[in-house]
Amino acid sequence: MNDARTEILKAIGKVPGNPATIAAQAQRLRAGACRPDRVNGPADEVFIERLRSPGVAATAERVATMQDFPDAVRRYLAAHQLAPALALQPHPDLQALDWSGIATHEHIATDEPAAVGLALGGIAETGSLVFHSSSVSPTLFCFLPLHHIVAVRASQIWPWLEDYADAFAGCAQPRNVNLITGASGTTDIEGTLVRGAHGPGWLHAVLIGNA
Amino acid sequence: MTLEIRPAENSLPHVALFATCLVNAMRPAVGFAALALLEQAGCRVDVPQAQTCCGQPALNSGDTEGTRQIARRNIEMLEPFDHVVVPSGSCAATIRLHYPELLAQDPAWAARARNLAARTHELLSYLADIRGWLPEGISLEASATYHDSCSGLRELGVKAQPRKLLAAVKDLTLRKLEGEETCCGFGGTFCVKYPAISNAIVDEKAVAVEASGAALLLGGDLGCLLNMAGKLHRRGADVRAFHAAEILAGMGDAPAIGEIP
Amino acid sequence: MSHTPDFNTRVAAALANPTLKVAIERTTGTARTKRAAAMAAWPEFPAARALGRDIKDHVIENLAHYLVEFEKNAVAAGTKVHWARSGEEACQIVVDICRKAKAKSVTRAKSMLGEEIGLPHALEAAGLERVETDLAEHIIQLAGDPPSHIVWPALHKTREQVAELFRAHHRDPGAMATVEAMVASARRQLREKFMAADVGISGANFLIADTGAVCTVTNEGNAELTTTPPRIHIVTAGIEKLVPSTAHAMAMLRLLVRSATGAELTQYTTFHNGPKRAEDRDGPDEFHVVLVDAGRTRMLNEGLAEMLRCIRCGACLNHCVVYRQIGGHAYGATYPGPMGSVLTPVLDGLEQAQDLPRACTLNGQCQEVCPVAIPLPTLLRGWREKSWQRGFEPATVRWALVLWRFMAMRPRLYEFAGNLGLRIMPLFSRGGWISRMPMAGGWTAHRDMPSPSGGTFLAQYRRRFKK
Repeated sequence: MNDARTEILKAIGKVPGNPATIAAQAQRLRAGACRPDRVNGPADEVFIERLRSPGVAATAERVATMQDFPDAVRRYLAAHQLAPALALQPHPDLQALDWSGIATHEHIATDEPAAVGLALGGIAETGSLVFHSSSVSPTLFCFLPLHHIVAVRASQIWPWLEDYADAFAGCAQPRNVNLITGASGTTDIEGTLVRGAHGPGWLHAVLIGNA
Repeated sequence: MTLEIRPAENSLPHVALFATCLVNAMRPAVGFAALALLEQAGCRVDVPQAQTCCGQPALNSGDTEGTRQIARRNIEMLEPFDHVVVPSGSCAATIRLHYPELLAQDPAWAARARNLAARTHELLSYLADIRGWLPEGISLEASATYHDSCSGLRELGVKAQPRKLLAAVKDLTLRKLEGEETCCGFGGTFCVKYPAISNAIVDEKAVAVEASGAALLLGGDLGCLLNMAGKLHRRGADVRAFHAAEILAGMGDAPAIGEIP
Repeated sequence: MSHTPDFNTRVAAALANPTLKVAIERTTGTARTKRAAAMAAWPEFPAARALGRDIKDHVIENLAHYLVEFEKNAVAAGTKVHWARSGEEACQIVVDICRKAKAKSVTRAKSMLGEEIGLPHALEAAGLERVETDLAEHIIQLAGDPPSHIVWPALHKTREQVAELFRAHHRDPGAMATVEAMVASARRQLREKFMAADVGISGANFLIADTGAVCTVTNEGNAELTTTPPRIHIVTAGIEKLVPSTAHAMAMLRLLVRSATGAELTQYTTFHNGPKRAEDRDGPDEFHVVLVDAGRTRMLNEGLAEMLRCIRCGACLNHCVVYRQIGGHAYGATYPGPMGSVLTPVLDGLEQAQDLPRACTLNGQCQEVCPVAIPLPTLLRGWREKSWQRGFEPATVRWALVLWRFMAMRPRLYEFAGNLGLRIMPLFSRGGWISRMPMAGGWTAHRDMPSPSGGTFLAQYRRRFKK
């Protein structure tokens, strides 16, 4: 394999330039004024508006505090005529809440009807929920359930995609970052959009508190 | 007493009309229309008798060296004029964009190619943008639709000019052509190298032209017009095709492409 | 493999297939409409595309630097980085990893590089069960077809054809009355396969140099279900996929997604960085990235560096008048359409692929919609030039052009020949139009030709003005 590495680098044929110069050039190549006019209000308000936009087509609501989240979940389950049982992402902030009346479990099944999660934050520009994999945030919680109900703190909304990227630049990176923008979908048959391809068919975001 | 002040003959721009192979052979009326329009727009026009072709067939076939020979010849022939005007977007683009590229590495010719390129214009954009001319007293009671030929549109930015000029023709209604910026499938030698694909493309174009409901099909490139007119005729459609210059020159009552004089 | 028919034969077959035309138009038509709407809402697109071009050019200019930086950061995250000069070498690396892990079943999330290097075939040849998890790839796996589009590989199938395939192959197909029902059936069919696979293989949309992460964008969620449960996750990625940082990837994502589907962002934008960590509850035990050259360094050195900007959005296919008539399979290559006609001569050799750069009207719409401003017509002309230099043109075309050029340099001869032609042509005319004429079959097979009259413009001009 080392042969291949050497040969490929040699075939590129240029001696690598000064790293500081290259970094300075890269720094100049950042999107600014050419971004679409999307973030034109408070980030949390834009975020919720983008979530509900036809392109993202998620549902969203706001509650005052984290303690109000279980009630929002109860209302969601009832509205969708789902059994009061769900997989609860093993996050201490979620586990600390009062889930009485709902049977919660930590293990997520292949065909889990509903799961409740807590996003690390959101991105206003695109209405994306951000998840970093960790001991309290397993990746499959975002992909196996049919209904994914996600809490996100209004104080944790980055205005632009780059603001999110910059917040973690130079830090230790998680194994997995998922930016989730609406429920799973496919346009593979005649370009027709159908939701619920392999991932969740419904995505509901609950914005907690104020920015 | 008023004195009519006329600009001196030699202060008018001296323009070479580069007619293009297709106009020369297949539709001289476009050449005469261009001539008339340029004169109305205040130009002193010459038709260099040694003109042949811009070299596009060689360029698009990969014969770069052959194109360079033709380019040098044309540069020499057209250099004495203030402007070179071409009633075709693709031929004008060949001189304006591709000659300088082809001769960029040739120290004896690079500057001459750039210089000629800067003075070469597609006819309709020349009339509208450079001469600021609009037709006066021309009328034609008809409905027409306009196809934007690709080279003119994308290489030279010819889009608003023909519409602006045609809008000044009294009683002429312009109808939108669905997919007006989509290629008609001509593509120069493409249409005879890959006739089946070209046919499928132009068939769709003909359907769109017919659906526009217009009596006339207009455009700024004779190659595309011959392709579309030939397909429309084969389909039995009665849409009549003209180069826009013919309409602007008041020749809209003359035989359309393919009609017997 | 059976004998591959030549380009014109494939084209004839495609044009004779009315269902294909319907299928192409349904998907590409929707894609064009949605892209146009996205662009109408983004007046800053020209500046954004110039930035996208500059980011890619910067990376290509400093490719060795970024490759080494990516490798260093990926290795630090626990990723095993492999290098492959060719497609075969890349496939061998993947197969060796699978063998070493005693893998039986492999799930695959769609990757055009995987198709390019023949990975599906290599996995099957190695006796592995290959499960394509992208819906389109699942459809073409069932049909035994190659992909026909780089974003929608099953674009050549109508909904009716998909329903028929699923009825024949799915355990529990149901009624198949709607596209929704077909998608639900595929979901049921593939659910257990995701969880049971030993190895998951995916591609990369971007390699992030300063973190060592691999970015993929998908809509279905199949990619994450392919890459998370198995013990091993392997990424194959072209070496041109690098970007300096996550922020640069974001700028590219805006361009990629709007150009491909008209959406603002895909449903899932994922950054993979190394294997499962001690505290993680899921994720693969091993994470491999195979960096593949397969002709890319040759492109760098043979005047095709601009093509390395390509981010595989498919906009040039959707807007190509030729692709829209003949579909993907007629190109006889992994990458169809304008971008494919530039790439295929690199991958398969110009002699074999010589028709592709020629079968183009050079109308420039591909360049106009390209989110990284690749001058596709110029690059296609470049192949035509090489083709001419190497004498690949049919002799008749060549001699006709040489003869024409000889005359074009000699105005009197040119006019003489022109006038001769103009005297002959009317002999074939009926009512002003020629519908059959010797040596004009390419034209008159499909359309009429107006009969010229009255001699050339130059001759008429001289007569009229007595010059």
